[in-house]
Amino acid sequence: MAPTETHQFPPPKVLTYHHHQSSSSSPPPTLITQGAEGRLYKTTHLTRDRPCALKYRPPKPYRHPVLDARLTKARLASEAKVLERCRREGVSVPAVYAVDPAAGWMMMEWIEGVPVRVRINAWLGERCGEEDGEEGEEMDETPLVDLMKRVGEAVGALHRTGVVHGDLTTSNMMLRPPPPPPGQVNGREEEDNKAKVLEGEVVLIDFGLATQSMSDEDRAVDLYVLERAFASTHPRAERLFASVLASYRDAFKKASSVLVKLEDVRMRGRKRSMLG
Amino acid sequence: MALEKLELKHVPPTYHVYGALFRDVANTDFLHKQLLSRNSEFEYAFIDASSVISRLHVLSAVYSAINVLLDGTLRTPNVHSEIVVSLNTNNNIADAYRRWGITPGKTKDLIVIKVIPPPQSPAQEQDETATTQQQQQQEAIWDHLRQHVQGIPAPLTDAELAQATDWPKVRKYYRLNGVPALDRLADERERRREMESLVVMGMALRGL
Amino acid sequence: MNAITKKKRRIALGCEGSANKLGIGVILHEGDLSSPSSTCTSRVLSNVRHTFVSPPGTGFLPKDTARHHRAFFVRVAKQALADAGVSAADIDCVCYTRGPGMGAPLTSVAVAARTLALLWGRDLVGVNHCVGHIEMGRAITGAEHPVVLYVSGGNTQVIAYAEQRYRIFGETLDIAVGNCLDRFARALAISNDPAPGYNIEQLAKQGGRVLLDLPYAVKGMDCSFSGILTRAEELAAQMKAGGKGPDGEPFTGADLCFSLQETVFAMLVEITERAMAHVGSSQVLIVGGVGCNERLQDMMGAMAADRGGSVYATDERFCIDNGIMIAHAGLLAYETGFRTLMEESTCTQRFRTDEVFVKWRR
Repeated sequence: MAPTETHQFPPPKVLTYHHHQSSSSSPPPTLITQGAEGRLYKTTHLTRDRPCALKYRPPKPYRHPVLDARLTKARLASEAKVLERCRREGVSVPAVYAVDPAAGWMMMEWIEGVPVRVRINAWLGERCGEEDGEEGEEMDETPLVDLMKRVGEAVGALHRTGVVHGDLTTSNMMLRPPPPPPGQVNGREEEDNKAKVLEGEVVLIDFGLATQSMSDEDRAVDLYVLERAFASTHPRAERLFASVLASYRDAFKKASSVLVKLEDVRMRGRKRSMLG
Repeated sequence: MALEKLELKHVPPTYHVYGALFRDVANTDFLHKQLLSRNSEFEYAFIDASSVISRLHVLSAVYSAINVLLDGTLRTPNVHSEIVVSLNTNNNIADAYRRWGITPGKTKDLIVIKVIPPPQSPAQEQDETATTQQQQQQEAIWDHLRQHVQGIPAPLTDAELAQATDWPKVRKYYRLNGVPALDRLADERERRREMESLVVMGMALRGL
Repeated sequence: MNAITKKKRRIALGCEGSANKLGIGVILHEGDLSSPSSTCTSRVLSNVRHTFVSPPGTGFLPKDTARHHRAFFVRVAKQALADAGVSAADIDCVCYTRGPGMGAPLTSVAVAARTLALLWGRDLVGVNHCVGHIEMGRAITGAEHPVVLYVSGGNTQVIAYAEQRYRIFGETLDIAVGNCLDRFARALAISNDPAPGYNIEQLAKQGGRVLLDLPYAVKGMDCSFSGILTRAEELAAQMKAGGKGPDGEPFTGADLCFSLQETVFAMLVEITERAMAHVGSSQVLIVGGVGCNERLQDMMGAMAADRGGSVYATDERFCIDNGIMIAHAGLLAYETGFRTLMEESTCTQRFRTDEVFVKWRR
């Protein structure tokens, strides 16, 4: 997702109620991203010590109002239902705190960490820098392959619950850092952070285009979308995508027929260039 | 005074919300009658604490009801009945009253919530006098409750609420039996936390 | 260093015929290639097009289209040279569309381009049709680093440049949006002259009393149009049988055109916006025949403005398939040393945008 834009948007009405003189005032809502889905704010749910993400789908000025209202309502409702289903099945996704489909917003659990995309690129960038010095030396890709495996497992677990994400990219996966071990505060972080850049739990987010489906075709398209997003976002790590598929196969019993279907979907992708 | 002023995020500051907990309430019959007769002096949300697991649980319902009030889409007579209905995971109103409302002779511990929307004529409340007015308001509510609710006042905390919770009932109401996300958690505290998440989520998705 | 990089003025002739338009154009690049600091300018010297139009209710078939291109090639080429005021001796290279496109028409134009190259003793440059659209769009609009929506009768792609390639972020999972519109035009027997999409656009301006419910099919940055076409065709049949719209009143062909445009363009804008969010760009460039549609341009503009950016689009001279874009993209490649040898000067129906190594960009 893009970094926060500089120009201001009117916030949704729900974020305009402030307790001015209140002693318990918390930081005002901050705009985190303007994704295509809508805007994501960081704010609080009920109490100031409970951070939450507020997803707001503003009316789209370009869209016919009838179509816009229909899509906004249906998508928020569907997103909330899918999240509940995943959460109950034990897939790592944000919990839903409150929804107002007509007003176009939903409050969700705030997931700590950064997008997988950022971590992969940070890691690749660092390795490249090192490569310049030691020419020809094989770099150790184990941490990256390990992350790919966790990505595959997360997608496998998702598909097992009968949900397809619809917009799988490395931007829509958070890497949630493991909770700090009790007692340890700020010790020799510099060294650790470098090694731990790819550590953490993969949490799937942004279910705005998700649907409930058990079909091989839909699951394969889900993987295909991820594969292409991966290739375009991380061209240098494209070949490691095989690890994602391998762990997907291990994590999900019905994976083999999905992977066969994925071949078909890829073929169709190539055939689509038939006409100019 | 055991009547707490509850400050909820994303609620207009002109709305005042108060909450209290009474244990071992002896006159549930009387209180229930006041609700049935729509006695305007008893505009409270009376919630059976045995169907509730935490403070967050209650606050979620209160927030949801106020949001419905702000949207102008109340499905029940007022914001207080809407709070009780908001505790449900479906739109069955009678069911919600039965499960989370006051049941004569059965309800033992009672959560009381009072929401005071801004006065109809906007000029009435000015910042200068607001604080003292609020204090008077809070005292008046507390006096009224103490006079009419025969129970032991207790703070509205997780610890107090946990003592009242009837877990089998809550698990049934919120479909928490046989849920993979819970069954695989070994740690009881983690499981409680996840149950709270699922309860809040179930309420948030009511009617979707 | 080859000779071309030393020339201050470079001229290419481009030949396009991957679908029903035969286009030949001449482009001039001016500027010093050997000095990295100097900027080169492009100037269109001529841009001639002749379109094969099939009767209403029909599409253009490869065989007939190829025959058209063969019949008109010499006429169009002579016109292009005359308009440009250049002779064969001024041309540095002959560019042609290698693909993607329809086999027979592509082949006809490739044969003609080879003939010119041999006749004039000039190098040949095979060009990817999609890359032609993108480069021409960038040159005309000045969009530096846009997300590109490429929409035509045969392609629907959302593209962004990264590391020497035009990478495809999203595309149609079945038929192209232009194909959906063209086939819908046939269902209503809308004229193919000058283009079915143009006539749908004009008709849609009279509709809009109701928005008819059509499926909305977006998956990630991809989308699908075949389900919408099926439903639109069903609605067209219902309309002819006197069916009523959601408000209980009969609806018209104009209402159908309006609803179809509103739905499919909303999908296109949505996937484009998603790609922009993904790569962090606020510029969008629309290319391809459907890109002429002013409603699409307006919707895209509203989206881009909402994101603090802007939309870049060209008019029908450059949006619709043309020879000048092939000349321009071909010359860009030629200036980096790219050549297509005579024995390798084939064409191909399948040629993905991301197969081209884009050496001329940083």
